[in-house]
Formats: sequence, structure tokens, C-alpha cells
Amino acid sequence: MPPLENDIVNLEGVWVAYSGSDRPAMRNINLRVSAGKLTLITGPNGAGKTTLLETCLGLLKPYRGRAYLFGVDTRSWRIREARKMCSFVPQDFIKPPFEAYTVRRIIQLGFAPYKSIFESLTEKENERIQWVSELLGIEDLLDRPIGTLSGGQQQRVVIARALSRKPRALFLDEPFSSLDREGRKLVSKVVSEYVRKKDAAAIIVSHDVNPIIKYADTIVRMDNGKIISGDCYA
Amino acid sequence: MLEILALALLAAVLSGNLCGAVGFYVQRLKITTLSFSVAHAALAGASLGLILNFDPVYSAIVFAISSALILGVIFTKMQYGRELVSMAIFSASSAIALFAIYMSNVRVLATASIAVVLWGSLLAVTVQKLIILVLVLILFVLYILAYRMHIDSMLYDVKLAEAEGLNVQAHMLAMLFFAGVIISLSFRLTGGFLVFALLYNPVAAALQLTRKAYMQLFLSSTLGAVSALTGLVVSYALDWPVGATIAIVSSTILLLAYLFKTATEMARKRKLRNV
Ligand SMILES: Nc1ncnc2c1ncn2[C@@H]1O[C@H](COP(=O)(O)OP(=O)(O)OP(=O)(O)O)[C@@H](O)[C@H]1O
Ligand SMILES: [Mg+2]
Repeated sequence: MPPLENDIVNLEGVWVAYSGSDRPAMRNINLRVSAGKLTLITGPNGAGKTTLLETCLGLLKPYRGRAYLFGVDTRSWRIREARKMCSFVPQDFIKPPFEAYTVRRIIQLGFAPYKSIFESLTEKENERIQWVSELLGIEDLLDRPIGTLSGGQQQRVVIARALSRKPRALFLDEPFSSLDREGRKLVSKVVSEYVRKKDAAAIIVSHDVNPIIKYADTIVRMDNGKIISGDCYA
Repeated sequence: MLEILALALLAAVLSGNLCGAVGFYVQRLKITTLSFSVAHAALAGASLGLILNFDPVYSAIVFAISSALILGVIFTKMQYGRELVSMAIFSASSAIALFAIYMSNVRVLATASIAVVLWGSLLAVTVQKLIILVLVLILFVLYILAYRMHIDSMLYDVKLAEAEGLNVQAHMLAMLFFAGVIISLSFRLTGGFLVFALLYNPVAAALQLTRKAYMQLFLSSTLGAVSALTGLVVSYALDWPVGATIAIVSSTILLLAYLFKTATEMARKRKLRNV
């Protein structure tokens, strides 16, 4: 286990650039997120929201400044241990029609990092998957191939996978983009309750018109690779 | 002669199986270009082995594993530009291979040993190589079974798997490692330039025939074995070069799979129109 600090995410003067691009996608970002808090990140297209989320998880590395996840520098090899405590819902989650993994299997695969060789899921983990699926209204889809689901249904599946892993931090990139109004309300409620009950952290990229805004502890606005307002920035 | 043929048949089935299976993973993990470089590094290794008087299989394995390691490390360190490094290794290896073959001509080596590297040979299979093939098969199957969940998670979505804390780099490295070893061992039959016919054609055909991941894996490795076996028998019967015959068979299978898919799609559409 990595040494735990109070901060789940801590970005200190972070600059990130995509290779091949001479313009930084994120400039001098400072951000702290602690347990039990729900942080909403908003901003126009190309503002750097996805870049921020992926930097927190260490999928992108800063070329200046430092990024810590659960106190682990994202450049350290121990970052994997920190990531195991996180769940991620990527922005581009939609799978093509021929993708044949079933919904159940896809949610189960979220437990892969916790498993050693030849190990499969426990009874309890499967029960949890069932429970989360019912919570998100996808219990009837569990044995369907993912490719045959609608965009909104697929989005519920990735959110179910994220929640099933019992993460201590949730990183959700536009988790409402394909959901209908009921779905947006439901997911907002489920995620915020999860954050309160488990003292977890959630960083959610979303437009502030979504119902999640009423649960947000902090709203960070980004534009042009910079944080332009929000009480988390230094 | 019969004994040699039996050995070759067994080796064909095993190589075909392994190539088809590793080809499936390489394709699904989108590291085809990387495996392409590893295969050419193996070819370079084999050719160098030829002029330096090593067993080409072993020098191929050494080269394949080294290039797999280099690419694997680059995979961790570089987020982009992997393809470029991969292409550099590919062209450098091909150059080494051609140089070596050119030089070996100057030294007037037995043509049989050049044949092994270039277009494969029935005579190249020995009991020892067969045992190595069996061992690699066992290791590969054990690896796949042991890390089933991890590998499935990567087949589904590599980025998501990495974000959830899976050691994606280690598994990519392992796959490239297996690809390198399997390619090096399959050389004997197909020759260096045609090993791709066993690596990529079976998985391409499998993708046409089924959508289920496990069926694709099964079909890919079965079609690999069928291609190698049929190619071997035909080449023996007609006295054709074995590697080229295997390549023709596997390409034909791919074509048939494609035609089959097109036909069933058309039938399905017609049925839909009729209801
Ligand atoms: N792979 C990439 N290579 C080069 N530049 C990139 C890449 N991905 C994003 N960028 C650039 O980085 C900047 C930030 O992109 P990012 O995806 O973080 O924006 P975003 O706020 O998530 O936008 P959206 O609302 O459209 O999802 C943009 O200017 C974009 O052009
Ligand atoms: Mg985005």
C-alpha cells in the first residue's frame, strides 16, 4: 500500500503537452481534491478537461510540475497501486456493434487488477455486480453483448463497472453525455450518495446544466488549458 | 523420410496453432506493427546465425526477444511514436537480413540453410525443435489461462484497464515475447518472409467468421494449424516450396472466409427485406 495522504489528487503547477503538439494542453494547473468531496469540472470543448482527468490518473505525465494520486507521484511505478483505488469512465466508451463481450463480463473485468493468477470473481463480488446493475437499471441487459446496446445503455454499463469496484476515487469524463433526463438524475444521485457514504472522492467532467451540479462541493471552470475559477486552485 | 515427414506435420500443426493464437492477441491488442518488427528482427537474427554458423533458430529467438524487450520498454516510456521506432527496427532488421543473405552467398553456404531462412524447409524440423515448440505451447496456454481476466480486460479496453491499475505494459511485453519466440520457431516451416501468412491471415479469417472473442481465438488457432498442415501436405505432394504453399493456403482460407461472410450477410439482408 502506498502512503496515504489526506489529498486524493494533488496537482502542483502541472503542465501537460501531447507529443507532436507545441502548445501545452494544460498550463500551470493546481488542484487538490480530498476525500468525501465531489468536484465538478466544466468548460468549453478543447478546454483541457479530459487532459486534466487523465493527468490525475497518470495516463498523461506532466512535463513540468508534479501530479500525485493518493500521495503517489504519477511518474512512479507505484502509481498502479494508487490506480487500483480509482475507477474511470472514459469519454469515448462506445463500442462497435461487433464487440461481443457481455455486459456482465465487462463489469467483472473491472475486478481484474485485484486478482492474482488463476483467480476469478468471488460470490460476493458477483452479488455486488448484480446489486449495482439493479441500481442503475441494467439488470436485464447483463447477458447481452455490449455492442448490441444503445449509447445510453452502454454508458450505464461503464458507470456500473466503475461503481462495482468500490473505488475510493471516481474519475468520470462526461458520464451523462448519452443519458436521458431520468438517467442523468439517477446517476447524479447514485454517485453523490456513493461519495458521501464511502467518503470517496469524485471528479466529474460535465456541463453545469446537469443535475450533478446540486451535489457538487466545488466547481472548477477551465478554458484554454487553464483553471479560470474554482476554490481549489492556488 | 517418413519420420521426417511426421515430425514436420506435427511441427506444422503446433506452429500453425501458436501463430494463429498469438496473431489473435496481437491483432486485438493493436500491436500488429510491433509484432511485425519483432518478426523481422527474428529474420535478421536467423540470417546472422547463418553466416556466423549458429543455429538460426536460436539466433532468431535472441534477436526477437531483444527487439520485443526494446519495443516493450519504449511502449512504457513513450506514449506516442511507438510505431516509428517499430518501423525503424523493421527496416534495420530487414537490411541486416538481406545483407547476411547476400554475404552468405559469397561464402557459398549450403543452400538448404538459406532455404530455412528464406522460404522454409521440411527438413529443418528436428525432435529438439519440436520439444521446444511443445514447451512454448504449454507456457503460452498457461499464461493465457493464468491471466485470463487481465488479458480479457485489455482486449476489451486497454486504456480503461491501465486506468484501473492493470500492469498493461508487462502484458504487452509478454505478448511480444511470445510472438517473438513463436515466430522464430515457425520460421523453419514458412521461411522468414512468409511467417506473416500464419500470423495474420488466420485471425483475419476468424474475424470474418465470428464475433465472439473466444470463438475468434479458437478459429484463428485452428485455421492456423489447418493452413500449415494443408500447405505442408500439398507442398510435399507437388514438390512446391513449403512456405509459399502455406501462404497460398492461408490466403485462400482468408478469401473463402470473406466470401462466406459476404454471402451470409446478403442472405440475411434478403430475409429482412422479405418480412
Ligand atoms: N491526442 C492529442 N494530440 C494532440 N492534441 C490533443 C490531443 N488530445 C487533445 N488535444 C488538445 O488538447 C487540448 C485539450 O483537449 P481535451 O481533450 O482535454 O479537451 P476537453 O476539455 O476534454 O474537450 P471536450 O469537451 O471536447 O471533451 C485541445 O486543444 C486539444 O486539441
Ligand atoms: Mg473531453
